[in-house]
Amino acid sequence: MQLDPVTIQILWNRLITIVDEAATGLMRTAYTPSVKEYHDFCCALFDADARMLSHSTVTTAGFLGIVPEVLRNFIAKYPPETLRPGDAIITNDPWIASGHLIDISIAAPIFHGGRIVGYTLCIVHHLDMGGRMSTLESKDMYEEGLKIPILKLFDEGRLNETVFDFMRANIRVPDKVLGDVRAQLVANNVCSRGLKGLLEEYRLDGLEALGAEVIHRTESSLRRRIAALPDGSYRNVAVLPKVPGCEDEVVVRIQVTVEGDGVAVDYSGSSGEVGAAINCSYNMTRSYTAYPIKLALDPHVPNNDGGLRPIRVIAPEGTIVNSRPPAATWGRTMISHLFPEIVFATMEAVMPESILASNGGSPANEVYLHGRHRDGRSFLAIAQHSGGFGASARHDGYPCLCFPNNTRNIPVEVTENEARMYYVRKELLADSGGPGRNRGGLGQEIEFAILDGGAEPARDVESSVRLSGRTEDGPFPVFGRLGGRNGRGSGLWHNGEPVDHGVYRRLAPGDRMRFVLSGGGGYGDPFEREPERVLADVEQGYVSVERAGEDYGVVVDEAAMTVDAGATRRRRDRRRQQPEAPAHRSPIRSG
Amino acid sequence: MTSSYRLGIDIGGTFSDFAVVDGADGAVRVGKVLTSAHAPEESVMRGIDDLSAGIPGLLGRTCEVIHATTLVTNTILERKGAKTGLLTTEGFRDILELAREVRYDIYDMFIRLPEPMVPRRLRLGVPERVLADGTVLVPLDEAAVRQAAAVFRDEGVGAVAVSFLHSYRNGAHERRAAEILRETLPGVTLSLSHEVHPEPKEYERTSTTVLDAYVKAVAEGYLERLADGLAGRGYRERLFIMLSNGGTATVETAKQVPVQIVESGPAAGVEAAACFGRLAGIDSLLSFDMGGTTAKLCIIENGRAARTRTYEVDRAHRFKSGSGLPAAVPVYDLLEIGAGGGSIARVDDLGLIQVGPDSAGSAPGPACYGLGGAAPTVTDADLVLGYLNPDYFLGGRMALDRAAAERAVEEHLASKTGLTVLEAAAGVHEIVNENMAAAAQVYAAEKGKAPSELAMVAFGGAGPVHAAGLARKLGCPRLVIPPHSGVMSSLGLLAAPVAFERSRAVRRILKAMDLAAVEAGFRELETEVRELMPDGAAPIVRRSVDLRYSGQDYPLEIEVAGPCGTPSTKRDWEARFEALYRSLYGKVDDDNPVELASIRVHVSQPPPAFEIARPPAEADAPPKAWREVHVPAGSGMERAPVYERAALRIGQEIAGPAVIEERESTTVIGPGDRLRVDPLGCLVVDLVIRRPAAADSGAGEVPVSATFARR
Repeated sequence: MQLDPVTIQILWNRLITIVDEAATGLMRTAYTPSVKEYHDFCCALFDADARMLSHSTVTTAGFLGIVPEVLRNFIAKYPPETLRPGDAIITNDPWIASGHLIDISIAAPIFHGGRIVGYTLCIVHHLDMGGRMSTLESKDMYEEGLKIPILKLFDEGRLNETVFDFMRANIRVPDKVLGDVRAQLVANNVCSRGLKGLLEEYRLDGLEALGAEVIHRTESSLRRRIAALPDGSYRNVAVLPKVPGCEDEVVVRIQVTVEGDGVAVDYSGSSGEVGAAINCSYNMTRSYTAYPIKLALDPHVPNNDGGLRPIRVIAPEGTIVNSRPPAATWGRTMISHLFPEIVFATMEAVMPESILASNGGSPANEVYLHGRHRDGRSFLAIAQHSGGFGASARHDGYPCLCFPNNTRNIPVEVTENEARMYYVRKELLADSGGPGRNRGGLGQEIEFAILDGGAEPARDVESSVRLSGRTEDGPFPVFGRLGGRNGRGSGLWHNGEPVDHGVYRRLAPGDRMRFVLSGGGGYGDPFEREPERVLADVEQGYVSVERAGEDYGVVVDEAAMTVDAGATRRRRDRRRQQPEAPAHRSPIRSG
Repeated sequence: MTSSYRLGIDIGGTFSDFAVVDGADGAVRVGKVLTSAHAPEESVMRGIDDLSAGIPGLLGRTCEVIHATTLVTNTILERKGAKTGLLTTEGFRDILELAREVRYDIYDMFIRLPEPMVPRRLRLGVPERVLADGTVLVPLDEAAVRQAAAVFRDEGVGAVAVSFLHSYRNGAHERRAAEILRETLPGVTLSLSHEVHPEPKEYERTSTTVLDAYVKAVAEGYLERLADGLAGRGYRERLFIMLSNGGTATVETAKQVPVQIVESGPAAGVEAAACFGRLAGIDSLLSFDMGGTTAKLCIIENGRAARTRTYEVDRAHRFKSGSGLPAAVPVYDLLEIGAGGGSIARVDDLGLIQVGPDSAGSAPGPACYGLGGAAPTVTDADLVLGYLNPDYFLGGRMALDRAAAERAVEEHLASKTGLTVLEAAAGVHEIVNENMAAAAQVYAAEKGKAPSELAMVAFGGAGPVHAAGLARKLGCPRLVIPPHSGVMSSLGLLAAPVAFERSRAVRRILKAMDLAAVEAGFRELETEVRELMPDGAAPIVRRSVDLRYSGQDYPLEIEVAGPCGTPSTKRDWEARFEALYRSLYGKVDDDNPVELASIRVHVSQPPPAFEIARPPAEADAPPKAWREVHVPAGSGMERAPVYERAALRIGQEIAGPAVIEERESTTVIGPGDRLRVDPLGCLVVDLVIRRPAAADSGAGEVPVSATFARR
């Protein structure tokens, strides 16, 4: 069949439709809010050469660069000639798959006309994989739960029962986890069916020509955008927030080199592995390094293998950005979620219109709760809340919008139905948005309390609350960009006492945990923000009268709710004559 | 004079459509007037006056008026509702703005979201707290409610939404707060979340409640003026409003929770499609309505349309789910796509043709309208391909400029892709069909349906032009083009049987249940719904059960015969559930127990009869002309016969390729397709399709077999 522009467009859309159908099947048949509400998963379709052709539009960003590598690793262990109809391959190996044990990857070959025409893969972040659960304290992988090496889960339609027996024996909520594993199999079934339907309808023998075409188009489109950037090399050094219980300072060094139509990102010189659960696998580093480049330069062309080809990621083995077994990896997003903004900071001068200020909720928050209900049933609940979105050249940041991973919050009422707790508040935090010509989005303040669990020993609830670890006075605040100020607000309190985040603690009935997710960074000089926009923020309670004066130089008459134009002009003029020391400037900047 | 007429009124954005059925002989009359945007009730009166010219004293002789309107949607889209305040649990006033904290497009850092309907300063929290099990942790602070009321009064708020956490389980605090607000804020309309949407997930429930409060005063005022206007013209019976899920409600009920009628108009279209499908002997179908800017599709199975509670209004990105404001009311689960006659085609940076979602609308319109539009549109492509007759558009009231269409396609598409004008136009037609097909595939998958098992019922100006191509892509074997497609929705209002549904949540493991209690539940629901039916009706009662594996959210609905309670009932329900599950998701043999999520009773009157007057014709009508039309997959243009629809004889058969023209639209069929005119005047087309292999054929599929069974 001839692949003219019309046919390519049609079939390309269909490839995306197929994985979206798979994702729908996954969500419809899943058992946990982790899939149903949180959407921490990815479904993807590959050609016979294991090139990724499409991924589900509902997914989290971390999987985008990982997915192609996972399948290649599967095929390396089980070459196509060893695969039969009815086979399915499983792993949760952090270095082979998506960087921590809690994610299970399952792939299957798609046979059509007696041969493999493609593969389908579904990755899901599960509720539990045994071990210490969600904590940054683990010193190595062995503390973190059950590891499933690359295995055939199905061999010509026959279950490798040992895999399930091992899982059932090692995890806290096996019915739910194995229910979600089944949902992954549903996703692969739906994907296989969709691809076979497409091949039938268009009388194609395989995807070779189509795959080559869509990959080429995605790749060449991104290369054209890269070529439009000036050649050059841009360096940066980021000292990351301290991780509780870990003495090591974590430094990420980056050099971004634009040369012709390609980009090389070199992390040489970054810190070595640490004895805390924040080590990144190479796949993870690559995923979150390629993502911001695609976002900034070529967001509208659908992604596939071609979106990764122009970007070379160099990360020396044994560093925190390319760790080796048995490093602990549970909270690897503590590092990897920062790569997008480190890349943006490094490229600020080259593409100021295409970047975001820092996100107040990055690295992502995660809350775990484990215990028993009064009737003895055990529960394991997960929740996530976001911080303020970074401002950009175009807009203010939205309050509490997820970046870079893009998972949905789990509703208060869903979590309260799952776990023996209740939220005391979940509210925007005034003045937390980083001031700027465009303001950073507001962060939020959250507090929850443990409910009475009845008799011992089931009364306590184990809980960990992981935050970004960023503070206003620490080495890595929530940066503003191009003169915008940093986002504000951070911290975790147990019954009013400040405590470490990311570690497990036992909470007794009545105990309260309060935490603040920062506002996003501002963009541009706040003294250039139109006074009427500052006034509108004051009216809605996003910005206080006091901060309007100090941060924006806008004097608001609170009683009349009007701007005092004369006083505002005087205040802004005074600042212009005496520019502040650039104390707010980011320690990570282009240079 | 007998009171035997039934009147359907559908107010759309541009036109208001009317249909009257004479109960004595089933004869249908139709009418159409321009909608007055500022006072839609005036359009109604004008339309009725027009019809009364043919039926003197029409309203005095009418036994039933059923009305559908886009008023609620437009009030939201145009932000013309009441200044609205929101009362929440203290600590949660920002839920409305926080929404789900997720970007609806993972690659777009610069997405826009709709403004919250209530600004922050009008969102007030009060101390109170109900827990997930419905128990009260913190009693309602009534003084705080009074203070909030004072703020609302000072701000001049016209409506208040009350949404407290877990009110779906215990609404006492919301009810008490409402009493206080009623006392302190006379004249302010109230909406309570446990009444509007008694389900968990606080953002979706709050959003729905706020939308309801926002539109309530506008809807009340309009519906009252409408009822008064009808009464003033002699109407003595009850006024019914079509709900978004095709149900009907009295005007009083509609006023109580007006957000329920947010999709009233499109629901009427679905009813019309269902009705004509039924009359044509087709139970399971895909309704396809394609107009100038959007196409709407809806699956109707066993005579009933798919429904959802995940509707969104005012999407910031029109066709991306997650970009709008959730209105969790029962709506027909329509798929709306940015694909219409006015959709603009262009070549993107990758050298590929893209169509829509933006539309040239009616101004400047497609290039061929000659009204200043320069960009090629779907209508331009259809004209170039010979599908449209430049001299018979809108019955000849508007001449189309074919040369302008060709120029637009040449300049903007052909020259940039190396295609000929004809190839580029064919590409536009094909791509818009594929865009619709791709979206429809996901939509069908979400409903768990295979389009290849559905017939398509097509209407709307552009629907019949694209229906054959779309149906072929989806694998729909049969296509039905009903008569009067220009006023389909108003006919749908009359075609809809009066119907009500009641359900009750159960949430128990089926195996462990006492079926006698289930049977009692069914009987209670049946008593409830029968009371809603008009006196003397002989209702059709259907039962169904929603089943799922315990722990899942999404149930599958299985229609069941009553009474239940024999030992085989549970086995039968489980077996049918498992069979359906497997056909949708492949073989996964879940070992979790099957849960009865809810029971459901649906009651309806037999569908009302009506007939569409048709001119008698003794012999097959010959083609009125022949012209060159594009035949996909053929050698380009081919001579095809052109028929006048009104002249076709009942029973006449036509072999494709052929074109059938009427005032409001044009039907195009391809080589091998066979069309016949059914007794109702519907064009019924059997399509030549390439049928994909059966979905679950097995090879290559992972048979996730019984090996999952726990041991």
